[in-house]
Amino acid sequence: MNRVVKAGLAGGAVTIFLGLVGLIERFADLSLVGEQVTFSRLILVVAPFIVGYAVGRPRVEHGERRSITAREALLWGAVAGAVAGALVGVAAVAVDAFGVERVRAVFIQVTQGLIDFVTLGLEPPIVGAIGLTAISAVAGVLGGAMHVVPDRIRKPIVSAIATILALGFLQRVVPVAMAEIDLETDWLYTSAGLTWFGAAVIGGIAAGVSILKTWKGDVIRDAIRGTTTGSQIGVEGSAPRGGTSVLRTVILGGAAVGLFVLPLVVGSVVSERLGTVMVFILLGLGLNIVVGYAGLLDLGYVAFFAFGAYATGILTGGMLNSFEGITPPVIHADLSFYVALPIVVLLAAFVGMLIGAPVLRLRGDYLALVTLGLGEMVSVLVASPWLTPLVGGPAGMRDISDAAIGGISFRDPKNFYFLALAFVILALFVSRRLYRSRIGRAWTAMREDEQTADAMGISTTSYKLLAFAMGGAIGSIGGALFAVKIGSITPASFQVFVSLQVLGIVILGGLGSLPGVVVGALVLVGLPGILREFEEYSFLAYGAALVIVMLLRPQGLVPNVRRTRELQEEERAQDAWAAEKEQEAAVEGVST
Amino acid sequence: MADREGGVARVADVRMSRFERLPWRRIILLILSIGLITLTIIGSVATLSKPPGEGGYSGATWAGFVVDGISQGAIYALIAIGYTLVYGILRMINFAHGEVMMTGAFAGFFFAAAYAESGFLNRHPITAMLIVTLAALIVSMIVAVLLERIAYRPLRNAPRLVPLITAIGASLFIQNAFRGFFGPQARGFPRPDILIGNVELFGLEIPKVRILVVVVGLVCMVLLQGFVARTRTGRSMRAVAQDREIASLMGIDVNRVIMITFAVGGILAGIAAVLFATTFEQVRFDMGFKVGIAAFTAAVLGGIGSIGGAVLGGFLLGLLQAIGPALILSGFGIPSPFALKDAFTFLVLVLVLVYRPGGLLGTGEQEKV
Repeated sequence: MNRVVKAGLAGGAVTIFLGLVGLIERFADLSLVGEQVTFSRLILVVAPFIVGYAVGRPRVEHGERRSITAREALLWGAVAGAVAGALVGVAAVAVDAFGVERVRAVFIQVTQGLIDFVTLGLEPPIVGAIGLTAISAVAGVLGGAMHVVPDRIRKPIVSAIATILALGFLQRVVPVAMAEIDLETDWLYTSAGLTWFGAAVIGGIAAGVSILKTWKGDVIRDAIRGTTTGSQIGVEGSAPRGGTSVLRTVILGGAAVGLFVLPLVVGSVVSERLGTVMVFILLGLGLNIVVGYAGLLDLGYVAFFAFGAYATGILTGGMLNSFEGITPPVIHADLSFYVALPIVVLLAAFVGMLIGAPVLRLRGDYLALVTLGLGEMVSVLVASPWLTPLVGGPAGMRDISDAAIGGISFRDPKNFYFLALAFVILALFVSRRLYRSRIGRAWTAMREDEQTADAMGISTTSYKLLAFAMGGAIGSIGGALFAVKIGSITPASFQVFVSLQVLGIVILGGLGSLPGVVVGALVLVGLPGILREFEEYSFLAYGAALVIVMLLRPQGLVPNVRRTRELQEEERAQDAWAAEKEQEAAVEGVST
Repeated sequence: MADREGGVARVADVRMSRFERLPWRRIILLILSIGLITLTIIGSVATLSKPPGEGGYSGATWAGFVVDGISQGAIYALIAIGYTLVYGILRMINFAHGEVMMTGAFAGFFFAAAYAESGFLNRHPITAMLIVTLAALIVSMIVAVLLERIAYRPLRNAPRLVPLITAIGASLFIQNAFRGFFGPQARGFPRPDILIGNVELFGLEIPKVRILVVVVGLVCMVLLQGFVARTRTGRSMRAVAQDREIASLMGIDVNRVIMITFAVGGILAGIAAVLFATTFEQVRFDMGFKVGIAAFTAAVLGGIGSIGGAVLGGFLLGLLQAIGPALILSGFGIPSPFALKDAFTFLVLVLVLVYRPGGLLGTGEQEKV
C-alpha cells in the first residue's frame, strides 16, 4: 500500500511540475477533439492513468513473480490515481489560500487561470480539488483496468484512442495535406482539433482494423505470404521468413513512396521542419558512428556542424556584414556547392583526426569533457572578434550558395528536402556498410574492451581516428546542408546545445541503430515543430528523454540488435550480482 | 626468476612499441606544445612591453586582475570540491553539479529580493545574508540529493557512460525546468549596502565583495577539511572512496555515505551560488553551465579526487582566467581578449587532460585515464 501511495504522490508531483513550468496553461486553448478535450485536460489525467497502470503491473517480489488479481489492480489503480489527483488538488487549494499573486512572484507560471483550471472551475476551490481527486481516481482505475480487461476488448479500444490522439496531435499537418490533395477536411477537423464525428469515425476504423487483425490476422498474413496453407508443419521454418520479407518489402516500399510524396502534400511550414529533421538525421548518423559504433562519447559534435556550415559559406562565396558594408571574408572562393562539398568533407575528416589525435588516450568520461570543451571553444571562436574577418562574428555570414542545379534552388523547403534526403540515404548506406565491414567489427570490439581489441591486433588508435574522421565528415555534410538551407548563418545556431541535441537523438533512438537515429530525429526535432506551443519546452524534453531512456530503456526506442544483447547481458550480470547481495544479506540476517 | 622474465618481456615490449608504432600522437603533441609555449611567451612579452593605454596594462590593473582571479577562484574551488568528492566516491562526473549551484542561486535570490524590498537586507545585512545563504544551501542540497536518488542510484552498476549521459540529461532538464519556473530573463541579485565599495588593503583598492568571497570560501574549505578528516562520517566517506565493497563489509552504509557526499557537495555549491550571485549581481537559469565546466576544469587541474587539488585548481584557474587572456592574447593585438575567456578555460582543460591527466596534485594512481 505504501508503494501505491508513493506512486500516486510521484504522479501528482509530475502534474504539479508540468503546471509550474507552464505546460498546462500553455496548451489550455489547444483542442484535441471538439472543444471539450483539450491538451491541458489530457495532461491532467495522464499522470493518474500512468500511475494507475504502473501499480497494477505484475512485479518481482522477494525473487518471485507476483501477478496481481483484478480486484487489486483496480483498487490500487484507484488509490494511486486518487492520491495523485489529491496532491494536485491540495496544492491548488493551498496556492489559492496563500494568494495567487504572492506565489506568482516566485513561480511566474502560476496564474488564477491555472488554479481555476486545476480545480475544474468550481467554487470554492476545495470542491474542485475533490472533483479532481474523483476524476483522477477514475483515470487510475482505467489505468489498472489495462491489466484486467481481456486483450480482445482492450486492443481495439487502445488502438482507437491512440489513433485519435495521434491525429489530434497532427492537427496542423494532416488537414493541410488533405487539402493539398483535394480532400474534404471539414468533417474531420475544425479550426482546432478533430470534430467529434471525425474522431468517432477514425476511432471506429482503428478499432475495426485492430479487431480484424486479432481475429483474421493469420488469414491475412497467409494471403500476403501467398502460400495456400501457411501452417504446413514441415516447412514452417522457411515459410514465415519468406512471408515477412514480402511484407517487409511492401512496408519499405510504402515508406519510400511516402518519403518522396511527403513534402509535396504537407504545407511549406512542415516541409521546412522536415528539412531540419533531415539535417539532424545527418548529424545523428555522424555522431552514431563515433558514439554508437566506436563508443567514444563526443560532446563537441557541434564543431563539425559549424565547420561544415562555415567552410561551405567561405568556399561558395558567402559574404560578411561588416562596418564597411557587405564584404567578402579574408579567405574566400566562389565555387559551386558541389565542388565545395567534397573539399569541406575532406577537411572535416582531417579536422576530426586532428581533434581526435591528442584526446585518444583519454578514457570515456574525460573524453566527453574534453570534446565538450573543444566544441564550446568552436562556438566561442566563431562569435569572437578575433575571427570576425573570416566568419563574421556575431553578425554571421550571408549569401551562401543555394546549391542550385539548372535553376532549381534548394533554398525552397520542398526542394531542399529532396537534396537532404539524397545525402541522408547516402549516409545511411555508408553507415550500414561500415558497420557490417571489418572496420565496424573492429569498432565494436574496441568499444566492448579496448585492451582485448588491442591484444587481438586491432590498431585502436587508427580505428578511433577513423571514427572521428567519418563522424566529422558526415557531420560536416549536415552543416553544409544547413548553410544551404538557411543561406545566412550566425553563431547562435552553433551553440554547445546542438551537441547535446544530437546526442539526445542518438540515445533516444538507440545507440548504434540507424532506424533509431531517424526515429529520434523525428521525435525530438520533428514533433516540437509540429506543435509550435511545444517549441520552448523542447530542451526540457531532451533532458527528460536522456534521463528516462537511460533509466528505463537504455537500448533506445529502435534498438540495435547486437547492442541490445550486450545491454541485456549486462543486466543479467547485474541481476546475478543483486541476487548474490540479497543472499549475503539473508545469510547475515540469519547469523545475527 | 619469473619476475625477471616478466621484466625482460616488459622491456622488450616497450622497445617493440617504440620501433613498430609510428609515434604520430607524440609528434603531434610535441608540435602542439612547442607551438603553445612559443605563442604564450611571444604574447606575454608583447603585452608587457606595451605601455599602458596602448594595449598594455598598468600595475594597478594587473593587481586588480589578481584580486578578481583569487576571488573567482574561491568560488570555483567551492564548486570544484563537489565534483571531486563525487568523483572520488563514484568515479563519475556529476555533470549537473553546475545546475545544483544554479538552483541555490535562485533560492537565495528570492529571499534576497524579498528582503531588499522590505529593507531588512540593509537593516540587518548579516542576518539577512545568513538566511539567504541558508536558503540557497538547503535547496542546493535537496536538489543534489534528489539528483543522486533519481538519476544516478539506479544506474550505479551500469556501464560507465550511462550515468554520464543521465547527468547531461539531468543538467539540461534542471536548467530548462528553472527556465520554465522563473522565466528566461536574468534577475538582478540585490547586494547589501555594506558590501558596496572598496577597502584599502596593501595599498590597493579592493572591492569589499571580493574580500568577503575569499574569506567565506576559505572558512568553508577549512571546515570541510575538518569534516572529512576528523568526523566519523568523513572517515566513512574516505573509506568508501577507497573501496566501496570493502567499506560496506566493514559496516558502512554505502548508500547513506554517497547521499551525504552529494549533500555536502550541494551545500558548498549553495554557498558558492550566493557568493557568485552577490559578486555578479545577477542570477539566470543558464548561469550554472559555464561555471560548472570551469569548476570541473579546476578539479581536473588540481587532480580530481583530491580536495586539496580542487582548492588549488580553483584558485589557479581563477587566476589563469583573470590574467591569461589579457597577458597572452593582448600581445597579439586580439581585440577584447576577455571575450575568449571561456575558450581559454577549455584550452586549459584540454591541455591538462592531454599532458597531465592526473592533475597537479594527482594521486599518481596508475589508472588509465
